[in-house]
Amino acid sequence: MLTYIIKRLLIAVPLIFGVLTLTFFIIRLAPGDPAAFFIQPGISPNVAEQIRAQYGLNDPIPIQYVKWLANVLQGDFGRSFSRAQQPVFDVIASALPITMTIALLTLVANFTFGILIGIISAVRQNTILDRFLTVTALFFYSMPEFWFALMMIILFALKFPIFPASGLNEIGAESFGPVGFVLDRFWHLVLPVTVLSINGAAGIARYVRGSMLEVIRQDYIRTARAKGLPEKVVIFRHALRNALLPVITLMGSSLPFIFSGALFIEVIFAFPGMGRVTVEAIFSRDYPLIIANTFISGSLIVLGNLFADVLYAVADPRIKL
Amino acid sequence: MAKQDIKRITALCRITCSLLLAVVVLTLSSCGRSKGNSGHSGTGGGAFDSTLVIAMLGDADYLNPVLGSTVTSGNIIGLIYPSLLQSEFDTETGLLNYMALEKKLRDVTAGQGKKTPKGAIARSWSMSPDHKTLTYILRSDAFWNDGKPVVSGDFKFSYQLYGNPVIASARQQYLAELVGADKGQVDFDKAIETPNDTTLVFRFYKPVPEHLALFHTSLTPLPAHQWKNVKPDEFRHSPLNLEPLGAGPYHLKSWKQQQEIVLEASRKSHLPKPGNIPVITFRVVPDYTVRLAQLQTGAVDVVENIKPEDFTALLKANKQIDVKTVGLRVYDYVGWSNIDQNEYRRSGQIKPHPLFGSARVRLALTQAIDREAIIDGYLKEYGVLCNTDVSPSLKWAYNDRIVAHSFDPAKASALLKAEGWQPGPDGILQKQGRKFSFVLYTNAGNARRNYASVIIQQNLRAIGIDCKLDVQESNVFFENLQQRKLDAWMAGWSIGLEIDPLDVWGSDLKKSRFNFTGYQNPRLDKLCELAKEKMEPTGARPYWLEYQEILHRDQPITFLYWMKETQGFSRRIEGEELNISGTFYNVDDWRLRPSANVAP
Repeated sequence: MLTYIIKRLLIAVPLIFGVLTLTFFIIRLAPGDPAAFFIQPGISPNVAEQIRAQYGLNDPIPIQYVKWLANVLQGDFGRSFSRAQQPVFDVIASALPITMTIALLTLVANFTFGILIGIISAVRQNTILDRFLTVTALFFYSMPEFWFALMMIILFALKFPIFPASGLNEIGAESFGPVGFVLDRFWHLVLPVTVLSINGAAGIARYVRGSMLEVIRQDYIRTARAKGLPEKVVIFRHALRNALLPVITLMGSSLPFIFSGALFIEVIFAFPGMGRVTVEAIFSRDYPLIIANTFISGSLIVLGNLFADVLYAVADPRIKL
Repeated sequence: MAKQDIKRITALCRITCSLLLAVVVLTLSSCGRSKGNSGHSGTGGGAFDSTLVIAMLGDADYLNPVLGSTVTSGNIIGLIYPSLLQSEFDTETGLLNYMALEKKLRDVTAGQGKKTPKGAIARSWSMSPDHKTLTYILRSDAFWNDGKPVVSGDFKFSYQLYGNPVIASARQQYLAELVGADKGQVDFDKAIETPNDTTLVFRFYKPVPEHLALFHTSLTPLPAHQWKNVKPDEFRHSPLNLEPLGAGPYHLKSWKQQQEIVLEASRKSHLPKPGNIPVITFRVVPDYTVRLAQLQTGAVDVVENIKPEDFTALLKANKQIDVKTVGLRVYDYVGWSNIDQNEYRRSGQIKPHPLFGSARVRLALTQAIDREAIIDGYLKEYGVLCNTDVSPSLKWAYNDRIVAHSFDPAKASALLKAEGWQPGPDGILQKQGRKFSFVLYTNAGNARRNYASVIIQQNLRAIGIDCKLDVQESNVFFENLQQRKLDAWMAGWSIGLEIDPLDVWGSDLKKSRFNFTGYQNPRLDKLCELAKEKMEPTGARPYWLEYQEILHRDQPITFLYWMKETQGFSRRIEGEELNISGTFYNVDDWRLRPSANVAP
């Protein structure tokens, strides 16, 4: 398996590099100018030129590419145009943990609730409870997340002000002490994580239900019941383990979705995470930051897929990597 | 499957869910407690009474006056750093007044002049009779927060930074009249002299009107002793940018980038005094709906640029909110390409645009658009019909004898007919085989312009003009405008408080970068030049009156409406004075009413 992982990682290198190169050219060919902000009445026309010279944008694109390549090979992705010329990895280092926290919490919530609802639906197939859960899951699954987020804010931050509408912490949260601070942080994460995970959980619940129903009808389940095993053991040990196999692959492939979901969640809830960094970088044509973001998200997607494949092999001994 | 077992599984799930719910409730209730203790969202005094929270759309880019270029940066820099002069917009006359400790540019009219000049570093100034030398006498009792005195050398040092091309400050235009600037490089040895710590002399290569000289020489200084060892190419990413050293009523307490900027009143400051409110927090809340919700729940105290359609609901939902307006500095317009842009780009030749090249056609378009309907439908009392780009707020220059072109489709049709446009078989006007059909572009994400563009489309359709609508991402839209690629578009301008329109209307299309329409009128160029030569702005009034008449006659664009800027305030703020020069112009004088007095 180790050889497999190393092989996959080696293949990933040219893949990510290709993605970066494509991004490099596409964003430079796209209309828009990183110095556009400085083109307005009352600002000397020299300023935009000086800014472009500072960013190295006056060179022909192939020369820019060679210079960029030389820097990237030394691990230097450059400085952000739009964020006070901070090194791009400093910007990402402060944003990534926030997005990772949201993504991990969402992942856990997604699968916990998704699997639970899926099992209940399958075990009580065709009952009112099952129908109710199915309809509810479909309802949330088809709801646009940004709209759902705004509705949640209006409901739970405005009409019934239980949760905060934005920000990572309350004003002056530092004075709450370390435990209070962390709890305050979680308090602020309830709405965004709920929004992100309800949609995902609904999808996973459908998978689990389908997969469970298939497994429950298998001969070995009947055999297990015939042996006189308690229903709990039959469902959780014999049926669920097999039913979860296809769901595991979802774990790896849902990472990119959660990441892209975090994009607008961060804008709506004012979290300074990767999503907002990306959106703002694109709008301000902050080339180095866009490329570095592509690098990070590209790597995460590749790793997520690899993780899913490995997990698959771990869960199902029939699969050899 | 045995029913009992199913029940057991369901029970198990139920227990798990209940446990999870219990954990969540416990977590939340403990959070609630800690929240209550902090007091901001409660009414129990503490931080709530001492902290003002201002919601902002985006973070400050730099808290360094040489580099900061966003509105947020400007607001915060104004609170942290000292300034040479204090300025105030006189709403009676529409003129800017400049104040030193012991001198004012103009006499203050009754009811004006609420700003104290105590924050100014300059004690007084004198302008030489030839208007080429401006000498400031500075006070000697102003100190940076580290205890070092604010001296004339700080100003000279800062101006050298402002003028350094490597630093690329957005304000280098302010140095354009200093000695040497006419030859391409400011000669700082001659242009700015500091004979001693309290004398600061600026020299210009040409006579400069006093108000402009004061405006251009009062850029915010940096402490030279803190910055002198920073190389120009490291200036933009120096760590000192994160620790601004100022002398104003507030200092930076903390800056969590992309989250919040916390300012604390500087107890020792006497420029003019420590801020009344102990702590001001600027919070980044990028989403408009969320900013609005937070104002409603009291989580923030100030939200700028509230849309008119939200006023009623906002005021109804929370009686503790007040919406205040200020203006008029911002207008929307429909731009018509006056020249054939394709021809101009290809050969550099100026030919009239096949559709909008004639002033009579443009006048017809203005008359065909029901501007009042847009105002009534969207802006309501927060919009004012716009005739030219001289704001009614600049009373000294505004031409109130101009009568707005009224909505009159019949007149518009007659004008178009006189220009040779006849209805075709499909009802669309035609002239020499060419249909009157075009695309009206605007930038994405602007509900007001979307609303207006639909009305414009309907209005024009009614007189046989086919107007298609298209929305472009802002960056793309702006680039297309600059390259003069659009035939018709809807956009807006925010005007400066000094009238200087050559960039937008100048006939030299290469120099006038913002003359997107390609409009050319030598008389207009001449009027702008004549106005600039006047040493006293009011002396230029006749020129500006004629300027407005020409624009009104030629209709290079269809001016739509002026918009009042609308800001939402919590009623617990007292003493705020809205001024056209900015929402936070006297924020150091604001007070927070103690929570006990706020009615529930």
